[in-house]
Amino acid sequence: MEVSRRDLLKAAAALVVEQWATRRNFVLGNESKTRLGKVIVVTCGGIRREDTFSESGLTNIPHLSGNLQDQSIFYPLVRNAGVTSHYNTISSIVTGNWQRLDDWGKERPASPTLFEHLRKQMRLRPEATWLISSNKALTSQIGASSVRDFGPDYGANVMFPKQLLINAVVRAASQGRAVHSTDRRVVQPELEAMLNSDNYDGLGWNISGGTFSLDTPTLGVMQQAIDDLIRTNAPVTGDEFTFLVSTEVMRRFAPELLVVTFSDMEVAHFGSYSLHLVGIRTVDRLVSELWSMVQQLPSYKDQTTLFVLPEFGRDMDGSTTNGFFNHREDSVSTRLTWMLCLGNAVHKAQTIETPVEQTDLCPTIARLFDLNHLDVPGQSLPGLWI
Amino acid sequence: MNTVLCDAPERFESTTRESYHREITRLPLTMRPALNKQLRQWDDLFPFERSRLTGFLRGVESMTPSQLDRLTQPLRFLEARMDLARLGFSEDDDTMQNASLLARSPYYAQWRKEVQHVFAVIEDAAHSADTRTRDKGRLIFIVLPDTLPIRSLAAQRLWDSRGIEYKLDGAPQRVTELALAGASGLPALLAEESEAGTDNTRADCWMIDADARLGAVVGGQSPIPVTLLEYAALKEFRDRVLAQVNTVPKDIAATDQTLTAIRRQNWDAWWPPSLAGQNRLRSFVLELFLSGNGALIFSNAFVQWAASEALRRARPRMITARFGLRIRPKPFTSIAIFENQQKVSTLRDEDDPEGSAIDAQILARYIWLSTLRYSEKERTCCVCVAESSRSVYVIAPESQRPRWSADQAVPPEAIHEWMRSTLSE
Repeated sequence: MEVSRRDLLKAAAALVVEQWATRRNFVLGNESKTRLGKVIVVTCGGIRREDTFSESGLTNIPHLSGNLQDQSIFYPLVRNAGVTSHYNTISSIVTGNWQRLDDWGKERPASPTLFEHLRKQMRLRPEATWLISSNKALTSQIGASSVRDFGPDYGANVMFPKQLLINAVVRAASQGRAVHSTDRRVVQPELEAMLNSDNYDGLGWNISGGTFSLDTPTLGVMQQAIDDLIRTNAPVTGDEFTFLVSTEVMRRFAPELLVVTFSDMEVAHFGSYSLHLVGIRTVDRLVSELWSMVQQLPSYKDQTTLFVLPEFGRDMDGSTTNGFFNHREDSVSTRLTWMLCLGNAVHKAQTIETPVEQTDLCPTIARLFDLNHLDVPGQSLPGLWI
Repeated sequence: MNTVLCDAPERFESTTRESYHREITRLPLTMRPALNKQLRQWDDLFPFERSRLTGFLRGVESMTPSQLDRLTQPLRFLEARMDLARLGFSEDDDTMQNASLLARSPYYAQWRKEVQHVFAVIEDAAHSADTRTRDKGRLIFIVLPDTLPIRSLAAQRLWDSRGIEYKLDGAPQRVTELALAGASGLPALLAEESEAGTDNTRADCWMIDADARLGAVVGGQSPIPVTLLEYAALKEFRDRVLAQVNTVPKDIAATDQTLTAIRRQNWDAWWPPSLAGQNRLRSFVLELFLSGNGALIFSNAFVQWAASEALRRARPRMITARFGLRIRPKPFTSIAIFENQQKVSTLRDEDDPEGSAIDAQILARYIWLSTLRYSEKERTCCVCVAESSRSVYVIAPESQRPRWSADQAVPPEAIHEWMRSTLSE
């Protein structure tokens, strides 16, 4: 991505985070004074092993299979034994229990999330846990469970930056207006209306309480950033924007637990394999950049553990569910995936071929934070320094 | 073996319909939605589907209550554990809500196995296979036009261990012309073989095009009955349906309602002239668009998904699938790829030949893999012409394999002759 466009995206990301913080009375730069380490979990949609960690797939993941794997514990046999939809899978990962919820996020997870355990047991501030997602199948309900003694009071901040961009386009389209390089007046009202709307959940923003309005200068700068994006010839990816918002959150709040979910590769649902591969390559690059960011930020350097895992694979070629388009087949291709762990919890880079389940990640992170009394069926991942 | 195809009526007497409904109510809850939907949409079913449905229901009819109870008891037991009746499972229609309820159940995998088992046993009881059509040769003809840069099909993922790539000796476009045009073309051959005036004539020969070129090739002085679907010709209809689909809210039940409303809407003004009077084909296209899989978004996904659904629903003797180019994702608006890119962005469309070629190759292979799910595969051959590499990839059962040498270029005329022979045998 060209530098000027990325700078504009960065500016937009910074403004989004600032707006968020102002609304919630967060104090920017208010980093944790606890001695807890940091954990970042990156999940990345449906990706088949054959398109990643296989002889033919390595070309799509030069960073993950290169310098990142060289310093990681690599788990090649990670099983998703639950419902292979996005909302259920990510809910299962953050709760450690296989969730069986409405696929489109109407319900909160049925057991407490790591966010809630962490904030409740460690008495952490609201800024300590975040989930930042590209995936439009998720809703803000994912940030906290429906369990009585937990719930939204202990939940994560949930943000959907990609949805902000999408909604600007959709809104323009729905009103019969084309988005093009010179028509600033088209984009500005879309953003203004969305950001000032009461229906934040429809937009993906998890904002509770009363309404608020963006101040005009903030809105203007955001509009400028997006308007300049239109002018470039390179495609804008939603994951890029999600990444930039995530790094902005890291810089400003240094949360103890950050979950980022990427989804550009989900273009596979529309049947373009080439664009699906582009999505995989984007994630590969963004994870590498995220890890570089961890090394640069004093709040994260040498005290962070990063987990990277696809949510699931995709269906087999020739399946009745139409192969790579979907992820609902009860097959190895769909259920078996992989995971990389980097950073603090890794004392020896290695590949551990013991089969593990995605729900094992929750008790592992719980141990990293010294959390107790989690009612989860899984085991801590083998090989980590816990 | 019973040739049920002859017995599947064009129209029902109401008493017949009632008796079929009675048979459906004898089945476990989760088997009813698809059967009820098919019965309701009888007029829109292809001959193969009618034959299969009536055969299946006769199979149910042939079973005594105790036989059926014994067969379906494990499935009913699972359904009770899944608590579907309480959760609002619809027995009238295949809804997204139904699919979601099933998929998130911990018993889903067991349920799938059990349903497949029950269907298989009842179909066996019905002897519903149509041996007449199974005995005839079948052909998948795929065209990758010269706008798609393809080096070699054989070098890509394996389609079939029997596949052989041959170089072409002559203009690659000539293969398509010979195969489809005029009295010696394959559609004309199939039309001759079909019983004139029967429901099978069109349903036996499908042509699916990412652009709108095939119609002109096969057309001419005396129109030949084929089922022709051209993505470009469907543009107005597609745009309208896409706009409605994009109003679907983030709620499964509401989505079901929206899709039902789209099905009931009168779309007459937006269908292309080529589909005039073809209600069944119109229904097929609408269902195709509402079933996702990119058919509304990318022309190549449309070609693959239409071919795959045609194989499942109509089992035609020949499918011609011609792929094409898609545009490059546009800055900013491509983030909402599900939107009409021409409408939401005034930036000039730019073709993406490399990306389109990658898409077309995997989707062409998917069409072939679809054929392998059905028993007709034993008599099915495949010819895929990659015009840019001047090559043709051929898959055939041992008894029908062409006698060409793999290291010699093959003229289009020889390929045409062989294709004719695969359908004639």
